[in-house]
Amino acid sequence: MAKRKLAGAKKPAAKPQTSVQITGNQQGSKLENVPARAPRLLIEDEDEDNEDGDEDGYIDDEAEEAEDDELEYESDLEEYDDEDDVSEKFEGLLDGAISDSESEDEASDDASEGDGEEDDANEEVLHFGEDDENEEHEDEAEVIKNSVSDDDEEDEYLSKYSAASEAESLSSISSDQDDSRIAYYTTGAHGRPRPIYHEIDPHYSSDDSDLEDMNTIGNVPLSAYDEYPHIGYDINGKRIMRPATGSALDSLLDSIEVPEGWTGLIDKESGADLKLTKDELELVKKIQLGENAGDVNPYENTIEWFSSKTEIMALSAAPEPKRRFVPSRHEAKRIMKIVKAIREGRIVPNKPKVRPEDEQPVYDLWADDLQEQQPHVMHIPAPKLAKPTNDESYNPPEEYLPSEEEINAWNETDAMDRERDYLPRKYSSLRTVPRYEDFVRERFERSLDLYLAPRVRKNKLNIDPDSLLPKLPSPQDLRPFPIKCSVTYRGHKGRVRAVSIDSSGLWLATGGDDGTVRIWEVLTGREIWKATVGDDDEAVQSVEWNPVKDSGILAVSAGEKIFLCLPPIFDDETEVTGQELLAAGWGYAAQPAPVEHINKEQHCKWIKPSTKLASQGVDVVIVCRKTVKQIAWHRRGDYFTGVSPEGANMAVLVHQVSKHNTQSPFRKSKGIIQRAQFHPFKPMLYVATQRYVRIYDLSTQSLTKALQPGARWLSSFDIHPQGDNVITGSYDKRVTWHDLDLSTKPYRTLRYHTRAVRDVRFHTRLPLFCSASDDGYINVFHGTVYDDLLRNPLLVPLKVLKGHTVVQSLGVLKVAWHPKEAWLFSVGADGTAKLWTS
Amino acid sequence: MRIKKKHQAGAAKNFITRTQAVKKLQLSLADFRRICIFKGIYPRAPRSAKKANKGSTAPTTFYYTKDIQYLLHEPVIQKFRDHKIFARKLSRALGRGDVSDAKRLDENRPRYRLDLIVKERYPTFLDAVRDLDDALSMLFLFAAMPASDKVSARVTEDAEKLCNQWMAYVARERLLRKVFVSIKGVYYEAEVKGQEVVWLVPFKFPQNIPTDIDFRIMLTFLEFYTTLLQFVLYRLYANAGIVYPPKIDAAKVQGVGGISAYVMEGKREKESLLQTSTTKKAITESEMASRAQTISTVLNKITDHAAGDTIATLADDDDEEEVTETLDKFTALPSTDTVISDIIPQPDETSPEEIVKTLFSPFTFYVGREVPLEIVEFTILSLGGTVVSESVLDGYLHVDTDALPDAEEVDFDARQREVDALLKKVTHQICDRPALASRVPGRIYVQPQWVFDSLNRGRLVPVDEYAVGATLPPHLSPWGDGAGYDPEDIGKEEEGEESEEEDEEVEGDKEVEGDEEEIEVDEEEEDEEDEALQHQRELESEAKGIIYSSTASKKRKRADKKPKKSAEEKQAEEEKELRKIMMTNKQKKLYNQMQYGIQKKETRRETLKTKRRKLEKNKQNKKRVL
Repeated sequence: MAKRKLAGAKKPAAKPQTSVQITGNQQGSKLENVPARAPRLLIEDEDEDNEDGDEDGYIDDEAEEAEDDELEYESDLEEYDDEDDVSEKFEGLLDGAISDSESEDEASDDASEGDGEEDDANEEVLHFGEDDENEEHEDEAEVIKNSVSDDDEEDEYLSKYSAASEAESLSSISSDQDDSRIAYYTTGAHGRPRPIYHEIDPHYSSDDSDLEDMNTIGNVPLSAYDEYPHIGYDINGKRIMRPATGSALDSLLDSIEVPEGWTGLIDKESGADLKLTKDELELVKKIQLGENAGDVNPYENTIEWFSSKTEIMALSAAPEPKRRFVPSRHEAKRIMKIVKAIREGRIVPNKPKVRPEDEQPVYDLWADDLQEQQPHVMHIPAPKLAKPTNDESYNPPEEYLPSEEEINAWNETDAMDRERDYLPRKYSSLRTVPRYEDFVRERFERSLDLYLAPRVRKNKLNIDPDSLLPKLPSPQDLRPFPIKCSVTYRGHKGRVRAVSIDSSGLWLATGGDDGTVRIWEVLTGREIWKATVGDDDEAVQSVEWNPVKDSGILAVSAGEKIFLCLPPIFDDETEVTGQELLAAGWGYAAQPAPVEHINKEQHCKWIKPSTKLASQGVDVVIVCRKTVKQIAWHRRGDYFTGVSPEGANMAVLVHQVSKHNTQSPFRKSKGIIQRAQFHPFKPMLYVATQRYVRIYDLSTQSLTKALQPGARWLSSFDIHPQGDNVITGSYDKRVTWHDLDLSTKPYRTLRYHTRAVRDVRFHTRLPLFCSASDDGYINVFHGTVYDDLLRNPLLVPLKVLKGHTVVQSLGVLKVAWHPKEAWLFSVGADGTAKLWTS
Repeated sequence: MRIKKKHQAGAAKNFITRTQAVKKLQLSLADFRRICIFKGIYPRAPRSAKKANKGSTAPTTFYYTKDIQYLLHEPVIQKFRDHKIFARKLSRALGRGDVSDAKRLDENRPRYRLDLIVKERYPTFLDAVRDLDDALSMLFLFAAMPASDKVSARVTEDAEKLCNQWMAYVARERLLRKVFVSIKGVYYEAEVKGQEVVWLVPFKFPQNIPTDIDFRIMLTFLEFYTTLLQFVLYRLYANAGIVYPPKIDAAKVQGVGGISAYVMEGKREKESLLQTSTTKKAITESEMASRAQTISTVLNKITDHAAGDTIATLADDDDEEEVTETLDKFTALPSTDTVISDIIPQPDETSPEEIVKTLFSPFTFYVGREVPLEIVEFTILSLGGTVVSESVLDGYLHVDTDALPDAEEVDFDARQREVDALLKKVTHQICDRPALASRVPGRIYVQPQWVFDSLNRGRLVPVDEYAVGATLPPHLSPWGDGAGYDPEDIGKEEEGEESEEEDEEVEGDKEVEGDEEEIEVDEEEEDEEDEALQHQRELESEAKGIIYSSTASKKRKRADKKPKKSAEEKQAEEEKELRKIMMTNKQKKLYNQMQYGIQKKETRRETLKTKRRKLEKNKQNKKRVL
């Protein structure tokens, strides 16, 4: 700030000097009215050269000094600028204050002269009146210089400057002013004489500014003197000669060849011409102009220290309050408190920091000693880890060590699927045991399990698995039942499909795929009679003895035919009754059929057998339309049913032996009929279709019940001799027991066969039943039906009879119970019939 | 009748998914995890996930709704929220570079305490003791872990301190019941307040730390476990009349660390310490008159250690007390006609537990420096023994005098004398080297396994099997084998069989492996076949020049054996099979499941047995060859 002001003040004084000076320099000649000084400012040699003892020398020196000072200023001020803002501000304030009053120059002058002593204040007042206007100009620079010097701390500079200014002022007084103007001398503050001037009387003669040589030609244009060597006249009337013109100068300059960078100066040291480059010259020029030589932006934005903005807080001149100097009593009190606390040890200065974790007190958390309570029902405590077993030992018994395959298997299985997460290893001693690689991971996984795994309460049945087995009477207490195979009847070729025992229990009839019917003596196993009934190797599907005692009739079905035979094994009496029974029907058949049958097609034909068949003992042949798979006699032995599953509505036909008559009970097809059987003592017909067992009342000719065994494909069923219970066997390995009084659904469904169940059969007298299956086994059960309706039937498995071999995935095909004994006959795909006795 | 809306009651109300729970608690997932770990809240598997998830079958984690409901008022959750705010403030302060502010904030950070949660989770002390297994295993793991950027040194230090306090307590009270050195580490079982506490301690090696492990979870668990164990230990110590926390003997920490450094100070002693200290000092001074005072104090410490450390010495004191505190016997008066008196069962001093407690009390063990001291020391001290450690003595005798902080003069001669006196008491030396250069007469040299096996058996097992350099007998788990296979039983059986019939092992194998379930009918045929085979063999053996009669007799013997065994069994089995027919489907399934497990165990047992037999046979063959 101060610097800028200074520069501004200095410039106008310097400018006219420099402009002239350059021309003077270039000319190399000294012109009268042109004081050439600036170049000498730098180079003293020139001063010496041009020193002609005239006034200029002095002026030069003075200017030089001033210039020097100025330069120094600048550098100093730059420093100053950077260093101390506060003092600068202060100075600014001072400046402002000074500029307010007219007398500031004087005041500062005095301040500079008196070195800022307080006494000057009085003198200042004194000088007010004496102040000379002429001095103003001269002093202006000084004022500023001094104001600066006031602030500057460099004593050296100060002394130097003050000395210089002193000399200057003195010399100027002595040379420029005549002594007449000085009224008297007083002693200044510095102890030297100080001139006191007369008061200026502002009359005409007092101004000597026009005493200089002036052209007094008045309003005559200068062109009027073009022809003369002079250009006018001075105040004394003497000619003023015309100065040398430019053309003459130019011609002179042209005659001189100036080498580049020529300055016309001689280097003091080398004696050679001093040459300056363009840049150097530019620099010199800049310095001469008082401009910044470096890269300083001279046009920086101004900082408005004093602005139009009004401050909120006024600068107060209020005296400092007492509290700023007097120590606070309150503070003293507080400090004393602290001191006391420290003395008493309540406050420990520089106490070592305690970890907050350590501060947490440990105490008896369970001091209340609560009674242990049942945990909440929904609380599921985390299961504890399994205890380590022998194979985890560092030195396990050798059998725990895994074999090659086990190691390979362990390596190949995914880590998740492994039964154990380690392989047993054996170390010879404790010191050889290494670290366990997965220790951290296992702990981590345990923690994951603890907070992440869903828990579920699993009731672990800590029971003996055998307790799950139902409590049943021992089979030993339920004897007799068939246990072992005592007789095997061999003779059939191919499968034996049909078996029947006559009511006396002496003769066993079997029929097989070889188309023969054979009768065996039960106890000896001797084949007594054999008849080939099937044409073209048609398999015998069913063989049934007439249930009537001593009738001796055997019904055989093979292909589409049913043969009623009288095997020649009985005594004559039996034979005769049988023949009579069979022959009686021929008469009926000769009579015209009943009216309802006239329009309809005949279901089947009752015909006399061929001689070949007749010779084998066949008496009647019934020809049906489809293959007859099963025959079942009515208990009285007059009716029997024939089932041909493909027969649609004529699948079940009821044949009457005494009348050689056939009825079709169903008008519509009921599906694929598997079996049909009469109720043991009621006029009812049980028909098994693929899925249901339907019970028809023959007297009312209506459906009374349809049992649903829940099987996919029934193979067989049988009716309990008391008529209230039914067992079914199915190709999907199931055996069901139905209690007709309870429900149409089975009372028990049993699955124990591994293959299809082929046949199920009740014993007619004993509480026994059995099932035969393709797995080659016959399961014998005890089945008691109680008269008490509230008691469920008791079913006890008694024995698995294993003996038949499975041929082409067919096992036991048919079974029959002995009418009196607990004996069982079975036929199978292996071509044998077997007798199982107790 | 009001129409019932779906998913308004039952499982849909009882269970809440994790997302819902987090939303309800207004927590971040990480905070939710922390609170779940602290409070012991775990997901549940509802009976029907579909019902619980309001008809959706997407896989979800369910929590019990009431668990979450109770969490709403948990003060620790509020602390979590405070911590969130604190973290925000701190990061802001640090971002501004406001160090002093940040420091102040950090000093006043919200802290929570878990003691009330511990009490809530374990209302009674026994509950807490029962659940110590995981806590101890985790703490012992962290005690063995190096401090890293994830696990601060403070955490490991604290864990180690607590672990040592626990071991010191167990050893002092002689509660250790089982030790099992496995390939994973050492399992210990202690009986604390009637509860079995089993924990696993890793071997003292730097742990392998997998990179994919989230230590935040483990550290959260550790935080809870630390609090739990602190309180449990306080109570245990208080009940045992010991000051908690026990003082740590600095000198011993420098030596070996571990439990030897813990001074178990009785409460009574502490109270009377002020009065008696002067007299005690006088006594010690008179005793140690010959020695320099400074040395004597140091020595005293070391001898303490050498004599099985302070625990052992204190235990001796207790023994004296015990003499006066022997239990009174309640002897029943002889019954008369009018008064009938039952005999009350008395705690028996000769019970195996009592024997175990003092199993090693007459012995002093010198533990070689190659033996892991912390395992052996803990076990021996728990059995009442005294431990002299080679490594500690080394450190004591060969102290680098320059390294000592105070310029005490070490009287090595005095020390040597002291140590010699100590070594005279040693009865057993535990040594784990292939061979020993020199033996001290009068000492029994055993391998460390002898200590463990003696504890597990409850008696001193014969030392000859555990001699230095000998092949050790197998180290069996005191908890037995999961499949019910007992290698020792097998060994006995084997011996019995061998004495009877040596050569029949292979045939016996066949017998076991052979299908016992044979059809009766087939049997006859088989017998026929057998006869044919037998005949063939007979011919062959005759051709070879061996008299057949011997083999034939054996055969017969076997044949006699077989039906005897099978007749009843077979019938029973058959009946069983028949009864199975009458089982309902449900029962059948359950039964089969059970059979699966049983079968698995059975097969494992069988494979182990066969392996064993093979090994035995190989051994015998080798012997024969030799």
